[in-house]
Amino acid sequence: MSVFGVLFSYLIFPGFIFTAMIGLFLTWIDRKVTARIHWRVGPPWYQPYADFLKLLLKETIIPEGSSKVFFLLGPILGLVSMTILAVMLFSMNMNPGATFLGDLIVIIYLLALPPIGLMIGASASKNPLASVGVSREMTQYFAYELPFLITIAGVILKAGGSIRLGDIILAQHASGPFLYSISGVIGAVVILLSMQAKLGFVPFDIPEAEQEIMAGVYIEYSGVAFAMFRIVRAMMLFLLPLFLISLLWGGFGDWWAIPKFLLIIVLMILIKNTNPRIRIDQSLRFFWLGIGVLSVIGLVLAVYGL
Amino acid sequence: MANAKLWGLKKSPWVFHVAAASCNNCDIEILDVLTPRWDVERFGIVLVGSPRHADALLVTGVLNRKSLSRVLRVYEQTPKPCLVIGVGTCTCDNHMFTPSYNVVGPYDKHIPVDVFIPGCPPKPEAIISGVVKALARL
Amino acid sequence: MKKEYSQAILDEIGARFPRASVKIHAPRRTYVSVPRDDVYEFAKFLFAEKNCRLSIATGIDKRDGIEILYHFSHDPSGTYYNIKTLVPKDDLKIKSLADFLPAANWIEREISELLGVDFTGHPNLVPLLTAETWPADLYPLRRDYADEHKEFKLDKTKEDH
Repeated sequence: MSVFGVLFSYLIFPGFIFTAMIGLFLTWIDRKVTARIHWRVGPPWYQPYADFLKLLLKETIIPEGSSKVFFLLGPILGLVSMTILAVMLFSMNMNPGATFLGDLIVIIYLLALPPIGLMIGASASKNPLASVGVSREMTQYFAYELPFLITIAGVILKAGGSIRLGDIILAQHASGPFLYSISGVIGAVVILLSMQAKLGFVPFDIPEAEQEIMAGVYIEYSGVAFAMFRIVRAMMLFLLPLFLISLLWGGFGDWWAIPKFLLIIVLMILIKNTNPRIRIDQSLRFFWLGIGVLSVIGLVLAVYGL
Repeated sequence: MANAKLWGLKKSPWVFHVAAASCNNCDIEILDVLTPRWDVERFGIVLVGSPRHADALLVTGVLNRKSLSRVLRVYEQTPKPCLVIGVGTCTCDNHMFTPSYNVVGPYDKHIPVDVFIPGCPPKPEAIISGVVKALARL
Repeated sequence: MKKEYSQAILDEIGARFPRASVKIHAPRRTYVSVPRDDVYEFAKFLFAEKNCRLSIATGIDKRDGIEILYHFSHDPSGTYYNIKTLVPKDDLKIKSLADFLPAANWIEREISELLGVDFTGHPNLVPLLTAETWPADLYPLRRDYADEHKEFKLDKTKEDH
C-alpha cells in the first residue's frame, strides 16, 4: 500500500476520524436512551460534537509542578492504541485470511493501553483525589481483566487452538458463531460485563466517581487533553462491541452486524441505568469470585466442546 | 473557526456548583433543577465533578471573609472562558446580611459575574431562565 | 408519669445543689440558674447520671456580664434543662465541660471567639468559625463592638492558600 493509503486508513477510514465520529454518535445514543428511561427528552443529536468543539476552546491547564510529558501522555497513549485497534479490527474482519500469528495477544495489549495511559496521566496530576482514582482504576483493571482473559482462552480453544483472530472468524463462518453454545453464552456474559467496567459505565465507574472523589482520575484535565480522553472513551464504545462480535458472534463481515451491535449497546445502556455504583472491594469480589468462577466454568465447557 | 467553538460553548455549558457558605436553600433549588423533571440536559447542561471541567460556575451564598479565598481559588482553577452565575439574592446584594461583620460584599466586587438570579431561593424556572440568558449573551 | 419524673429530678436538684434556683418555664422547659462555679458539677450531674444530651450552648452579652446557657435535652421525657449562668465582665473565665462532654468542644470554641469567654481546661481553644485573618481580640457579638472593620482587603499571605 502506498504511504497515502496507509495514512488514509489510519487517520480517516477506518482509523481515527471514522471511529471517533461514530463513537461520539454512540455516546449520543447512550444519553438519549438514558433520557427516555428517565421519562425526559434528552440532548439533541449534535450534543457530543458540541461538547467536543467546546472543549477545544477551553484552555488546557497543566498543574504546577507536574510533569508535562506524562500529563499529556495519558490521552495520547489511548488515542494511538485505539486507532491501531480500529484499523486491525476492520482489516481482520474484511479479509480474515490476512492475519498474523498472535494478533489476538496484540489486541489484548492494545486494549490495556487506555487504562494504563489514564493511570500515568492521573498520577502526574499532583492531586490526592486523582491518586485515589488511580488506585481504584488499577484495582478494577486487575479485577475485570482476569475473567476477560480466561474467556478469550476459551474462545481460542473452541477455534481449534489458533491465536489468530482471522482463524477464529473463519471457524465461526464454517461452523456457526460461538455464541450458539453454552460456553459461548457464558463467554458473552463475561465479556459484556468486563466491557462495562472497561468503558467506565455504572455500576463500575468507580475510578471516576463523580460524587465521591470529584471526577477522580480526570480531575485535573481540562481543554484539549480532556477532549482527547473523551474521544478515547467514545472510540472504545465503538470498538469493544465490535471485538465481542468478532470473537463470539461471527464477525462483522455482513450487514447483520448492525443489529447485533445495537443490541449489545442497548444491553450496556440498560445495565448502566438500572444499577447503583458499587464499591471497589465489591467490584473486586464480583469479578474474581462471581464472574471469574463463571468464566472458568465456561472454559471447562469449551474444553469439552460444549 | 472561532464561531464553531463559540457555538460549542453555547450548546454545551457544563456547570459546577460552588456552595460558598450558603444557607443551602439555593443549593436545594439547584439540585431540583438538575432532576429529570426540568431536564436541563436538553440545553447540554451537565453537572461535572471538577472545576477544571466546568464552563459555568453556579455560586450561592453570601461572600464572607473566610470563603472569599476559597471561591477565588475555585474561580482561578476554572479554565477560561467561563461564565459565573450568581444564584440567589445573597449573591446580588448580600440580602439580609448586609450589616454583618463578616460579609465582604456582592460577588462582582471580587470576580466577574455574568448573571445574577435573584430570589430567596429562586425557583427552578428562574434558574433555567437565568442560565439561558447568560448563554444568549455569549 | 412525665410529671412525676420531672418532679423527682427537681427534688434531687434542690437537695444536691442548694445554690441553684429552678424556674419552670413550660411543661417541658426548665431553666436552672446556677452560679458560675457550680456549672461543671451540675452539667456532669445532668450528663452522666440523668442521661441528658447537650443540645447546644448559647451566649449573650448582658451589660454586667456574659450569660451562657447550656441546653440539655432529656430525650426519654422530651424535656429541656437549660443551665443559665452569668460570667462577670471583669473575670471572663468558666470551667470548660469539654473533658467529659465532647459535644461541648466546638460550641465553646465558638462562644470564646465571638464573645471572648475563656474556657479554662479546654484542650484546643482556637477560633473555629471566624476567618483566619480576623484579629483574635475582636469579639463581634459584644454589645460594644463597633463596626470599625468595614474596610476589607484580601491579604493573600495570611489566607489559607
